[in-house]
Amino acid sequence: MRKARFLAIVVLLALLVPVVSHNNAQPVKAADRVQIRWFVGLGAGTDAPLIEAQNKLVEEFNASQDQIELVIEIIPNAQAYDALSTEIAAGNAPDIVGPMGIRGRASFPGVWMDLTPLIEANSYDLSDFDPALVDFYKVEGEGQLGIPFAVFPSFMLYNTALFDEAGLPYPPKAYGEPYVDADGVEHEWNTDTLRDIAMYLTVDANGNDATMDEFDPEDIVQFGYGNQFTDVRGRDTLFGSGNFVDADGNAVVPENWRAAEHWYHQAMWEDYFYPNGVYGNSELLGGPGGNWFGTGNIAMITIHSWFLGWGTDGLEGTWDFAPVPSYEGQVTAKLHADTFGIMDSTEHPDEAFAVLSYLLGDRAEDLTTLYNGMPARLSLQSTYIEHYVAQLTETYPDTDFASKNWDVVPAALAYPDNPNHEEGMPSFLEASARYGEYSQEADNNADYDVDAGLDSLQTDLQAIFDAVAN
Amino acid sequence: MGISLKWTRVARTQPRQGLRAGLRSMSPAQRREARWGLIFISPWLIGFTCFYLMPMIASLIFSTYSFKLSAPGDAHFVGLANWKRMLFHDSNVWEGLRVTFTFGLISLFIGMVSAFLLAVLLNSKHLLARNVFRTLFYAPTMVPLIAAIVIWSRVLNPQTGWINKLIDLFGIHAVGVTGLRWLDDPKLIYFAYTFIGLWGIGNAVLINLAGLQGVPTELYEAAEIDGASWLKRLWKITIPMVSPIIFYNLILNVVGLLQYFIVPWVLNQGSGYPEGTTRFYMVYFYKQAFTFQNMGYGAALAWLMFIVALIITTVLFTTGRSWVYYSSEER
Amino acid sequence: MSKPMGLERTMSSYQMARRRRNILIQAGITLLALTVLSIYIMPLGFGVMTSLKTKDQASDPKGPIIPSEAVQYEYEGEKYDVVYVPSDSGDQEWALIKKSRKTSQFIDIHNPEKGIIEWEGNWRALKPVFETSFQWGNYREAWDTIEFLKLLKNTFVYAFVTMVGTLIASAFVAYGFARFKFPFRNALFMVMISTIILPPAVTLVPTYAFFVKVLNWGGTWLPLIVPQMFGNAYNVFLLRQYFMTIPRELDDAAKIDGAGPLRTFISVILPQAVPALTAVALFHFFFAWNDFFGPLIYLAGSRDLRPITVGLTEFNGLYRTEPQLILAAATISMILPLTIFFIAQRVFIQGIVITGVDK
Repeated sequence: MRKARFLAIVVLLALLVPVVSHNNAQPVKAADRVQIRWFVGLGAGTDAPLIEAQNKLVEEFNASQDQIELVIEIIPNAQAYDALSTEIAAGNAPDIVGPMGIRGRASFPGVWMDLTPLIEANSYDLSDFDPALVDFYKVEGEGQLGIPFAVFPSFMLYNTALFDEAGLPYPPKAYGEPYVDADGVEHEWNTDTLRDIAMYLTVDANGNDATMDEFDPEDIVQFGYGNQFTDVRGRDTLFGSGNFVDADGNAVVPENWRAAEHWYHQAMWEDYFYPNGVYGNSELLGGPGGNWFGTGNIAMITIHSWFLGWGTDGLEGTWDFAPVPSYEGQVTAKLHADTFGIMDSTEHPDEAFAVLSYLLGDRAEDLTTLYNGMPARLSLQSTYIEHYVAQLTETYPDTDFASKNWDVVPAALAYPDNPNHEEGMPSFLEASARYGEYSQEADNNADYDVDAGLDSLQTDLQAIFDAVAN
Repeated sequence: MGISLKWTRVARTQPRQGLRAGLRSMSPAQRREARWGLIFISPWLIGFTCFYLMPMIASLIFSTYSFKLSAPGDAHFVGLANWKRMLFHDSNVWEGLRVTFTFGLISLFIGMVSAFLLAVLLNSKHLLARNVFRTLFYAPTMVPLIAAIVIWSRVLNPQTGWINKLIDLFGIHAVGVTGLRWLDDPKLIYFAYTFIGLWGIGNAVLINLAGLQGVPTELYEAAEIDGASWLKRLWKITIPMVSPIIFYNLILNVVGLLQYFIVPWVLNQGSGYPEGTTRFYMVYFYKQAFTFQNMGYGAALAWLMFIVALIITTVLFTTGRSWVYYSSEER
Repeated sequence: MSKPMGLERTMSSYQMARRRRNILIQAGITLLALTVLSIYIMPLGFGVMTSLKTKDQASDPKGPIIPSEAVQYEYEGEKYDVVYVPSDSGDQEWALIKKSRKTSQFIDIHNPEKGIIEWEGNWRALKPVFETSFQWGNYREAWDTIEFLKLLKNTFVYAFVTMVGTLIASAFVAYGFARFKFPFRNALFMVMISTIILPPAVTLVPTYAFFVKVLNWGGTWLPLIVPQMFGNAYNVFLLRQYFMTIPRELDDAAKIDGAGPLRTFISVILPQAVPALTAVALFHFFFAWNDFFGPLIYLAGSRDLRPITVGLTEFNGLYRTEPQLILAAATISMILPLTIFFIAQRVFIQGIVITGVDK
């Protein structure tokens, strides 16, 4: 009997808990505030340190005025696309989405609000931005989909300790400078030179490097070069900008990209200085999706400024910046440009724009520093490196950020990729998935036929593009 | 005996009648029994009507629409176009079914047998520290998905993974790009997936364990006195007695394998790599419905799978009557 | 009269042989279980080991399996790795001051006063000196970063509440399906099975719209808790299967005693089905414990309510990932459910009953 009564109490309690917690879960809302939902997940902002900072920003915004209640929804990147799709389809779309790159924006065509009327109505001052950058967010047929917020220039990072061990001189300090080798001979800083030194920096467990006959490709412990955290279009941009679609909407594989793919395949499977699929996902380089450079087991990478700080943590400051090498005399330093969008479906465009103005205006500097970007506002650009170094030094005190070759970072802006490597394509999602399949095959098979693979990629992309046109 | 036998009986005695008409034709005792039955299942009936019925109907309606997730406003009725495209113009559908069935058959057999044998082992009176063993065998089932991904993608790496390093110790060349590439080699991939699948076997073992408790001990005692061997006891007593539980596991396994997608999805986002061996049906569904945001077409794909799975489960329920033994069955 | 001595001796030797045989079987079976277990659990062992390493330790190609750190030696204010250098008098422990491909510089850590030693050869061929070093700090960091205690509370409440709710409702419904005849019973049963068969992803959008737009339950646990209070097809199916193995004679006996269906259910069926009820309870508790996508989308925007599985993703940024923290947090999150499992499994004791009979 006592047992039964005990059970009944447990059951009752269990049924009561959701009722009680439901009441707790709904804090009394300020009745006259408009709720604006800010969705984070298509780009940066989903890891613990940033979540904390973003939450603080939201609190500060809510305290700063009494018209709007800003709510932040943070969804991990892997699930963010599905979650946002579901919210949109169910008629429960958020109001603001960001930060996101071009990829995030292009994945949801047609959902973004043209900001032009709001910019005009609020007389929002765009004169503090480079006009070219403003146009960057102008999409044919859709309008002004974003206000510039931050750009993330790319550069090369090299591990000074690994260069020292190899007895190699460091890469050049500025664009246009040659690479001077140990014998004082000058070489153009291009992909050929990169290959030569990267091979020497690729070492197996016995200490033989990739230029030696004794080199054992089955037991590599250190790699020479990697184009980190990017896809086919991103890595091929080292050989010049392009896209898989031409002006007429047809599928193409640009010649420079074909050359690039041959270079990468050879780098993985014959010269061995570039991590192939197996090594690239191994624990040696931080596991799948791992931070190659952060392991200290790769000598050079190309990367964007959002990597700084956390990406080099653990290397004890033994790294520096270098210019991106050229291909056929031309330098292309791919550029990331992030923005925040307002969703077309929002019921409160003015309030959403007010939030946007706050984030990209009053707090532009904090926000760009948070995401490791270079502010898009011209008025902030002259001092940003100073701010940035100060902030990085505070967070990662064992690295001497001030001593690094920072000049290379803004210099990259003179060599942007146009079209951008994340540029839209017809049927963007299908096309992206298809070229992803190409690299998965190519990067995991030594005897993959690159030309045949690219040809079939082009055929399939054409079919995908044609399906949209019909 | 079996359920479908009764089903046909019900269908015959009450051909297409409403519930009320059915009740009217019954004796008072039957009516009382029916009322109690309905009272007992009423929680589910209410829950189903409130939370499942409408979404199910909605998804069926989606399948007749061109419905892009990111543009719900542009959705429009297209009749059976999605169904036609799926059945007659999309080779991915049949490829997906083929891959799903190929892997399903391998994995179903291994999964069912392992779960049962493991339960028997963990139920053995001869096993020392049985509680510890049961807990440790169950432990992997508790690993959160995100951690499981971290673990498996590293353990199976050809170069640095523990599995290849372990195999190498036995003198078999496994480590490296030319070694055993579990997730890259079309010949090995299903074994890798099966092994990953076995890691989540804990629930099936748990259910089997519960089933084994229901076998009356007198039966074993009698058999032991008769001198029946362990294998004979297993075959003649244990398996028939727990057959309803095995049947449950079978149905859940079949449905689970038809819907198999998380592992290939996480490992290669639906690319089918290597050589199309991982083009599972539900992976294709997911790719269409969510990655490409074509929920209209996706809904058609899901409903086709629903129909296939329903046919298979109905067949299993029908054949189940010949081997599933229910002690409570009225004779 | 006492037994003849000889007979007694044979009895005891028979017993001894029997005991010896039992011990052998025990050893054999336990050994078999141990072998299978060690292969089966190996990936988990890897996970735990990795949770105790720094990222550097995990990516060190020469690092041992056990979390270890290279032994370092301080020389003129800087720290250097110590390696074994082979010499005529066995391996010597030297600190590697300057790495270079052909000749490297060392300090003999036992005779530092000898100064820098130039050594010809490739330093990569030398074995580093490791000492075991478990990074318990990972656990601390994981715990603090995602406010683990709060997540634990959320997860536990969700798992416990839905477990109790679904257990009661499912047992009811299963009893209805297992013991009563009513019109369309089998059709309704197949409809219920259908809810398992239809891929949940296809009903996600309408379900989400219903809960969030119609009922306005977004940002709360209700969309995940309330449906469970009406039973769950998986659990109903399992319990029905189990109830059907319970002989009907028991019901009939109760009926003769004047028990109604409800009394029969409570006093006959439920006590007989304790193992299955326990299995369902555990089953559901663990399912809810690891439920991920539902909480993720329904609780978006209510960070304070999130469960452990969602919290774990905070160590998994787009590029910035902390696998050692994911694994540390996952390990902690498994402790409570495994303890519950360890205790609850005592209901699966059939073997012990047989042992009792054996004597």
